[in-house]
Amino acid sequence: MNKKILGIFLLALCMVSLAEAQGRKGLRINEVLIVNETNYQDDYGCQSAWIELFNTTFGTVDVRSCYLTNDKNNPKKYPIPKGDVLTEMPPRQHLLFWADGMPSRGTFHVNFTLDPTKDNWIGLYDANGRDLIDSVTVPAGIPADHSYARAEDGVGHWVIKGDDGSGYVTPSTNNITLDKNVKIEMFSEHDPFGVGMAIMAMAIVFSGLLLLYLLFRLIGQISVLIKKRNAMRVHGISDKEEAKEKGFGQESGEIYAAISMALYQHLEVHDVEDTILTINKVKRAYSPWNSKIYSLREIPHKK
Amino acid sequence: MGFVDFLGDNLVQFWEYTGFANCTIPHLAMILVGLFFIYLAIKKNFEPMLLVPIGFGILIGNIPFKIDAGLEVGIYEEGSVLNILYQGVSAGWYPPLVFLGIGAMTDFSSLIANPKLMLVGAAAQFGIFGAYMVALALGFTPDQAGAIAIIGGADGPTAIFLSSKLAPNLMGAIAVSAYSYMALVPVIQPPIMRLLTTKKERVIRMKPARAVSQNEKIMFPIIGLLLTCFLVPSGLPLLGMLFFGNLLRESGVTSRLAKTASGPLCDIVTILLGMTVGASTQASEFLTPSTLGIFALGFMAFIIASASGVLFVKVFNLVLPKSKKINPLIGNAGVSAVPMSARISNNIGLEYDSTNYLLMHAMGPNVAGVIGSAVAAGVLLGFLS
Repeated sequence: MNKKILGIFLLALCMVSLAEAQGRKGLRINEVLIVNETNYQDDYGCQSAWIELFNTTFGTVDVRSCYLTNDKNNPKKYPIPKGDVLTEMPPRQHLLFWADGMPSRGTFHVNFTLDPTKDNWIGLYDANGRDLIDSVTVPAGIPADHSYARAEDGVGHWVIKGDDGSGYVTPSTNNITLDKNVKIEMFSEHDPFGVGMAIMAMAIVFSGLLLLYLLFRLIGQISVLIKKRNAMRVHGISDKEEAKEKGFGQESGEIYAAISMALYQHLEVHDVEDTILTINKVKRAYSPWNSKIYSLREIPHKK
Repeated sequence: MGFVDFLGDNLVQFWEYTGFANCTIPHLAMILVGLFFIYLAIKKNFEPMLLVPIGFGILIGNIPFKIDAGLEVGIYEEGSVLNILYQGVSAGWYPPLVFLGIGAMTDFSSLIANPKLMLVGAAAQFGIFGAYMVALALGFTPDQAGAIAIIGGADGPTAIFLSSKLAPNLMGAIAVSAYSYMALVPVIQPPIMRLLTTKKERVIRMKPARAVSQNEKIMFPIIGLLLTCFLVPSGLPLLGMLFFGNLLRESGVTSRLAKTASGPLCDIVTILLGMTVGASTQASEFLTPSTLGIFALGFMAFIIASASGVLFVKVFNLVLPKSKKINPLIGNAGVSAVPMSARISNNIGLEYDSTNYLLMHAMGPNVAGVIGSAVAAGVLLGFLS
């Protein structure tokens, strides 16, 4: 029995390790711009290639100690430095790294550059330098000031975006601007009277409680069966019909309540004494807050 | 400037800061509402545990003061003590703590013994969605309508939790409305119950519930959590805490924790919740035309919920064998005002048959209503957030 339980526990542990971890695993390379002529400038006033990361999770993620690289054979090419609070990414927010090959300019300047004449593979590795979190291959020949970006933040296919009608380049901000709550708009448009919502929601509430009902009906039946079997054993009855007639297993709570009350009356009944005899030392901690001397009167209690 | 002028200027300035100088008609109106709540609680004994903190909170929240002076005393002024206490409401973490206490003090055995009563708890949630439809027709947006409609669940913490997520600007009115109607259960429900039932139905005797084993009681919160939250994960904060509290109670090995959760912790949170919800009714923020609409919709939602519970039992009885008929007077208890609505079922039942105690039977749909309204809140949150 113990071996079985241990086996189930170990199996559960193995399955836990398969679960997708939250946190850094939720980071995504979100947008890359390689030829920067008139686009975003860094703090030095320089225009360089940039790589935007996006935190897809709803929790803060610190990217320190992760690695950014453009070389599959060297996953630890640029370790994102520790000790900079700015490496903490708030939920659903972005972080921009400059691919200018000048790491001495600060945390967000990586030690490699991107070549516009050929495909650029970019990878983001976890702190162990082995687990690839996300990667993208940016095709060669993307026009200047055009970015290679996900259609939606953190998800979706990659598209080329520029300010020429093919979408906007959006460094450090959302790839799609949401100016309304799509869900609410959809409900307003397709279900203006709320009938659909009422039907769907009631169906869900009913199915939840119906499932609970069916399950506990089954559990109740099993419980009654077990009680019945135990009662038959105690009374030495083997005939199921007889047990059914006597209502074994179906005793109401009222019977038990009456028995309990009778036992209580018989065994526990006391006079009105409010003290007990003891050989233990009785300690009474003194505090002015519980002293009657300092209180004016009792808290009134409405009968 | 002479000494007298100096004193005069300071006294004038002091006068400008007083409540008398800043008092307006809306302030006085809200103070009267607060006094009325306190009166109902103390003299009429209408849910005093709720109405005293809310009523006094209304007084606290409507003491007039110079708003532009930056005194950091108002509940909506960042950094004020009241504002810090109010964060439990606005961020929605008081309601799950109250649910922890409710779970720790609720005995689900009547529901486990007669699980079909869960369906009555589900039926009463129609009040929520009926009110949702009316709120939409009155011009509220779907998210606002969802937040208002949850009043029909008759569950204060759930209403606060959902409105803090869907319509924070309406939360004060929704919370006060939900708690007011919960307190007014003894006034609102009996006429509906009498109207929808016949004398013959009111004296239906239900079979006493069987004794439930401890194993069943322990399994209930675990299975309940897994089943409901797999279906509606957005209800996790409420359902998780409700079932957790119940497991503390039923496990038999954490009685200290259960006592704390159902006693001191629940009391502390109820005091803070009631007081800050009351204080959030600051006249300038609270007295708007939409508040009146919310109160009217809440009232309607409550009536629909009570009526649909009773009517569902009547319909259900059509398919049940004679020995297993349900007294429709317990249908009103499908709203989750625990245990007020179950008490009403019992009292009305006793009026027509002085030996027919319905309390434990009514507790079944009553606690199912708590689960049902939390699931309904999760559904609304999932669809509309």
